[in-house]
Amino acid sequence: MKNTFFKYSFLASFIVLLLVGNKNFAQDKIKEEEFNLSKYKTIYKFNSLKQTDNSRLLEVSLVVQNKKNRKDKIPVFKADIDFYNVLGDEEILLGSAQTSEEGIAKYSVPATQQYLVDEDGYINLIARFNGTEELKGKDEDIAVKDLNLELTLTEIDSVKTVIVKAFTIDSLGIKTPIEEADLIVSVKGMLSNMPVEEGTIEEGLFEYEFPNDIPGDDDGDLTVVVSIEDNDDFGNIIQEKSVNWGIHNVTPLKKAKNTLWSDSAPLWMYIVLTILLVGVWANYIYTIFNLFKIKNEGQKLEVTTEE
Amino acid sequence: MNLDKRKRELVKEFSPTLEHYSLKTKLWIGSLVAIILVGVYAFFVQLINGHIVTGMRDNVVWGIYIINFIFFVGISYSGAFISGILHFFKTPWKNSVSRIVELITVLSLLIGPIFILLCIGRLDRLHYIFLYPRIQSPITWDIIAIMTDLVGCFIYLYLTFIPDFAILRDNDDIKVSQWKKKLYRFLAMNYQDTKSQRERLHKITRTMSVMVIVLALVAYTVLAWIFSLTLQPGWNSTIFAPYFIVAGLYSGVGVIIIAMYATRKFFHLERHIRKVHFVAAGIVLLVLSLLFGYFTFSEYFARWFSHKSTDGQLLHTLFSGYFWEFIFANYIGVLIPIFILFFKKFRTIKSITFAAVIAVLGLWLNRFLIVVPTLETPYLPIQDTREAFVHYSATWVEYALSFAGIAAFCLLFTLLIKLVPIIPMSGIIDYEREQNKRKKLKGKNKNK
Repeated sequence: MKNTFFKYSFLASFIVLLLVGNKNFAQDKIKEEEFNLSKYKTIYKFNSLKQTDNSRLLEVSLVVQNKKNRKDKIPVFKADIDFYNVLGDEEILLGSAQTSEEGIAKYSVPATQQYLVDEDGYINLIARFNGTEELKGKDEDIAVKDLNLELTLTEIDSVKTVIVKAFTIDSLGIKTPIEEADLIVSVKGMLSNMPVEEGTIEEGLFEYEFPNDIPGDDDGDLTVVVSIEDNDDFGNIIQEKSVNWGIHNVTPLKKAKNTLWSDSAPLWMYIVLTILLVGVWANYIYTIFNLFKIKNEGQKLEVTTEE
Repeated sequence: MNLDKRKRELVKEFSPTLEHYSLKTKLWIGSLVAIILVGVYAFFVQLINGHIVTGMRDNVVWGIYIINFIFFVGISYSGAFISGILHFFKTPWKNSVSRIVELITVLSLLIGPIFILLCIGRLDRLHYIFLYPRIQSPITWDIIAIMTDLVGCFIYLYLTFIPDFAILRDNDDIKVSQWKKKLYRFLAMNYQDTKSQRERLHKITRTMSVMVIVLALVAYTVLAWIFSLTLQPGWNSTIFAPYFIVAGLYSGVGVIIIAMYATRKFFHLERHIRKVHFVAAGIVLLVLSLLFGYFTFSEYFARWFSHKSTDGQLLHTLFSGYFWEFIFANYIGVLIPIFILFFKKFRTIKSITFAAVIAVLGLWLNRFLIVVPTLETPYLPIQDTREAFVHYSATWVEYALSFAGIAAFCLLFTLLIKLVPIIPMSGIIDYEREQNKRKKLKGKNKNK
């Protein structure tokens, strides 16, 4: 009895020791793995995109990156970002947004917004993150000119032509064509745009002969997109228009024949089944035929014996 | 060897089993008939009220009827396979077991398909299978295979019976009723055991023995495909056909051993069914149990290792709801026969029979685990349905009909061995004839 008591006490103590020991070890590990922000630096990026409806999308990306391991990037979630239009000491709050789980805050300034513009025609924009207890505040500014892209899709002597006019408008409403800017012409796809031409706007004008072999949707429609990307003066601008220039290239589905769900089975199935059944039943018939031979032979013997 | 004298001796030896119905036999037949009558009552209850009286519902659409079907058909195919092997290779000790095997083959193939009919909700539409068959459907293949196999087995069984019918017809000493004598005369088909008749009969029996082996393999493969060609977790497996064949052979050999034990005990056939026959059958059972264990392990291991969510759910169902059934079917049902049959000192008639009983019970449960837990864990999740529709439990109607099936099998077996001797007399004569020939040849060689 005593022995049993000691044996089980020992076993119980051993299990408790294992459990407690394991718990302590686990806690130590958690402590070790606790997030240490001092090892990370903040990466803060600000961009603007003038959209097709002339509204302006302001976008901030806020991510912390491990100083030693560049691959270790963590987006900052729910950070408040304020967007301002600045001129000298004057700041106009355009709007605010919170960063998403990807660390991106977006705010769309309507097309009707009247911006403060400096003497050179630049709109100065600031995206400001005021910081938290753990993260320091950040701000980033960009200066862009308000560029307008006018896209015309027309056929000139049966040639499909893309015409882009790029100009700025001053306070009096006078249009001034831009001198030069790189431009990309693409066709809108389901997941991304397919570039078809890269060119330069010169004296505010760009013309391009659109190819005849670009597939469209079921009706032959496609969307032509023209964009200026990361321009020093104008930032990002995009413009698009739909037109019936695509080729209708849909291959009709062939009607599947002899499938498992069709009225008739595949031919090979009939052949295999017939061979198997004919083989087996022919053997049965052969056996029965031989049985009758046995019977007839016996009958003859019986008749001979009786005679 | 005086053939007529030897035939008379054999008839005299086996006539008691054909002539008299002892009290024990009458009681046995009476109890079997009683069980069958309960089954008939249960059948009418099901016919009048429909499948609501069974445990089968919308989700678990198959129950113990289909399990009995697979089980009986498996026994039949394994019987056909073993019988074909015994005949084709002219196994020396085939006479002791061949008739038992042949009877098991045909009777289980008669009983098995009845269970599939019990599964059908609209029996009045049964003829549609023949009127509008879909060649693409494994069910159609199975119906064709079963019918072809049934005809083949009947012909084969009849061929092996003919010489014995002729012996019984020609022997006036046997005291059986007049209708039986007429039946022997009719079924003997004027067989006179002449050399040409004998050779012809041997030739077609040999061809048919090959045919039944092939048919057994094809038919059981097709039966396995009914399950494995679906996407159901637990069924969709490439090794299902060989797994079914091995499982069928395993259960078939088990039933043969049990039948050998019962007939030996009941008809005092110790002289014909000896320990050596049990040991030989036991070794076959050992090999098959190892193979069956290997296939079972491969099947479940692959499911566990694949980490597919549906397979995981099936394994969870097996280990939670059917834990003991799983342990019995796949551990006890395999390991105990292996343990008994592996060691020479354990190979006694009783222990081999015990191992066979364990194997047969394990195999039935294995079939149960293939059907029911799988249907309870379908590929498409069950939603918004009644609890009773998700889980299956068999009702008294299903049990009554299952036991009636087993009773019908035993009854027909008993009646058939009252019609012809359980040990083929013609087989004994053929064996002795062969022995004499060899002796003569040896004598001639010595003289030379």
